[in-house]
Amino acid sequence: MTDLANVNEQQGYRAPRNQWWDVWDQFKTHKGALFGLGFFVFMLLFVYVGPYLWPIDATYIDIRARNQGASWAHPMGADQLGRDTLARMMAGGRTSIAVGLTAMALSLLLGTFVGVIAGYFKKLDGPLMRLTDLFLALPLLPLLLVIIMLFRDTLRSTFGPENGIFILIVFVIGITSWMQAARIVRGDVLALKEREFVLAAKSIGTPSHRMITRHVLPNVMSPIMVSATLGIANAIITESALSFLGLGFPSDYPTWGRLLFDGTEWLQRNPERVIWPGLAISLTVLSVNYIGDGLRDALDPRIRGR
Amino acid sequence: MFDASQQRKLVSVRGLKMYFPIYTGLLRRHTGDVKAVDGVSFDIYEGETLGLVGESGCGKSTCGRAVLRLYEPTEGSIIIDGKELAWDNIEARRISDQADRIGRWATWAAFLLGAALVIWLGATEMLTGAWPIVIAVLAVLVATYLVSRLSRSVIYRLRGASEGVSVDEFAPDDRALRRIRPTMQMVFQDPQASLNPRMTVADIIGEPLSEHSNKTGKERLNRIYELMDEVGLNRDFANRYPHEFSGGQRQRIGIARALALNPKFIVCDEPIAALDVSIQAQVVNLLEDLQTELGLTYLFISHDLSMVRHIADRVAVMYLGKIVELAPRDGLYEDPHHPYTKALLSAVPEPDPVSHDEANRVILQGDVPSPSNPPKGCNFCTRCPSVMDICHQIDPEFREVSAGRFVACHLFNDTQTAG
Repeated sequence: MTDLANVNEQQGYRAPRNQWWDVWDQFKTHKGALFGLGFFVFMLLFVYVGPYLWPIDATYIDIRARNQGASWAHPMGADQLGRDTLARMMAGGRTSIAVGLTAMALSLLLGTFVGVIAGYFKKLDGPLMRLTDLFLALPLLPLLLVIIMLFRDTLRSTFGPENGIFILIVFVIGITSWMQAARIVRGDVLALKEREFVLAAKSIGTPSHRMITRHVLPNVMSPIMVSATLGIANAIITESALSFLGLGFPSDYPTWGRLLFDGTEWLQRNPERVIWPGLAISLTVLSVNYIGDGLRDALDPRIRGR
Repeated sequence: MFDASQQRKLVSVRGLKMYFPIYTGLLRRHTGDVKAVDGVSFDIYEGETLGLVGESGCGKSTCGRAVLRLYEPTEGSIIIDGKELAWDNIEARRISDQADRIGRWATWAAFLLGAALVIWLGATEMLTGAWPIVIAVLAVLVATYLVSRLSRSVIYRLRGASEGVSVDEFAPDDRALRRIRPTMQMVFQDPQASLNPRMTVADIIGEPLSEHSNKTGKERLNRIYELMDEVGLNRDFANRYPHEFSGGQRQRIGIARALALNPKFIVCDEPIAALDVSIQAQVVNLLEDLQTELGLTYLFISHDLSMVRHIADRVAVMYLGKIVELAPRDGLYEDPHHPYTKALLSAVPEPDPVSHDEANRVILQGDVPSPSNPPKGCNFCTRCPSVMDICHQIDPEFREVSAGRFVACHLFNDTQTAG
């Protein structure tokens, strides 16, 4: 143990390097996560860079091509109005991925915040958890209807029709899906709080907010990661359900969920209209799940290096 | 063992009580207390090691943690390095409880009043536009925060003046306590559990530094390396995680963390209980070396009597939340006064099998009574081999029977009164 004498003084000591390098090293060893990351990056390129390479407008109507299958002019076919499915997939993916990521981030932020505060501060536990129960007990659809009725027009007039609806949908999905995360995080925080290293930090004099950011949050990372990856899928699907009900984006505004629902009526004639958006949603969700899985392993130093 | 009057008292604990309330029934009514520490008094002189021994569950660890104010003590005075950490003055305690209550109400009142004011101003259109409303809301929050921060000290001053309690007699609040923390640190029992598994060794040892000093990254790293040298850890380990170490190395990390702020007083809460026997000696010798080198003062909590004999200058024996005997080490081991101490010492294994078998052991009958319902009279009266009638009636006083030797036992009260 005390082999300090053997250490060549001139070679120096390895300075502590940034922990994120260790995380990356471990992440690289997770094949699924690498595939997931690769596919997700490909998807992002597809929806953001794709339109420059495939400059057909998503709303351009080429009536002669309507209900056509795959062809060189329309590689993914065209819908009943002759709009190019490939272009609509790109435009729709932009919205869907953005909605998924932001809504997930919002619900995660809310859920983690409520869960950590409820678990850490005993006095707030009761009120915050009853609030969580309240949200869980709320009937979702009437609530969404009311929220959208109340705020749609104001938001539309302030932020424009598309951004307004985007904000509204993200907000609505965010505040109706944070409860699971809050409950899981609270449970973990309650257990963590009794661990001796928290007591040790208390004896050092670490104040509560740094106790939370330094000792509690990094140790509840795994359940947060899991609910994050599941949350993205949930948000994309909820968005499409909302649009389907006429509460979301306008009907001519493409999103993956929207394309999927529009395609269901044409399932027998043009099955590819359902297959493409369905494939895009499920593969994106799968890739995000794998990324989350790899990240969770990489963030745990006990698993790292195996 | 050495001339106590010449030494400075670094730690002085008087009548420390740590009760954990029991709530039962549908209404969660307060029906009793677990008296984990029940009126403990001792002094620790600068540079010495006080061993605190006793069986499991007798309140040793709770006592150590309460002394460092990791728990809110129920009663009693704790003075460390001249600063009062708990409640010397009963009156101050009462005022502080009042201040808590009043402060809570005042905070709520300030918040509700402010909120009502903002709503009223908004409703009467005296506040219009986004910015005035945001500023008004922020003002309310700031006012609420100020009330919650300041109400306590205002009440201390006002009520203290009328009741004749000076401001210094109040126990420090969280902020003041945080400033005192560097003088006192703790080494924990389970080195695995007391290190955050997600932090590197450098981060763990550096945590006290980043909390209490303004060192830059490089200075901090140098100090971390220094500490690692001091406890015998290879500097190359700085970037590793706790799970990559053996128990003894982990305990060294814990010790380095405790040393980071140059404390004067360290509570060692069974620091060797979770280690292999071969490693125990290493860690104890390290603690001793550090003591001579840095002039540390230890409260060494352990149930290993032989180890305490090795490291401690004076030893306190605890039974069911009370100290039954406090004496210099050699006196205690050679001539234990209290029947419980005798029983405890006779349970120490002998290396020689012949004397081990022939030893005339005191074997205690029965179990330790529940700390939530201790027996009337002496706590030890249910198991004491030399129990008398008076033991069931009156709790013996903890008194000095000869120079430096304190015992709480009626056997010695009698000799005292007879002689």
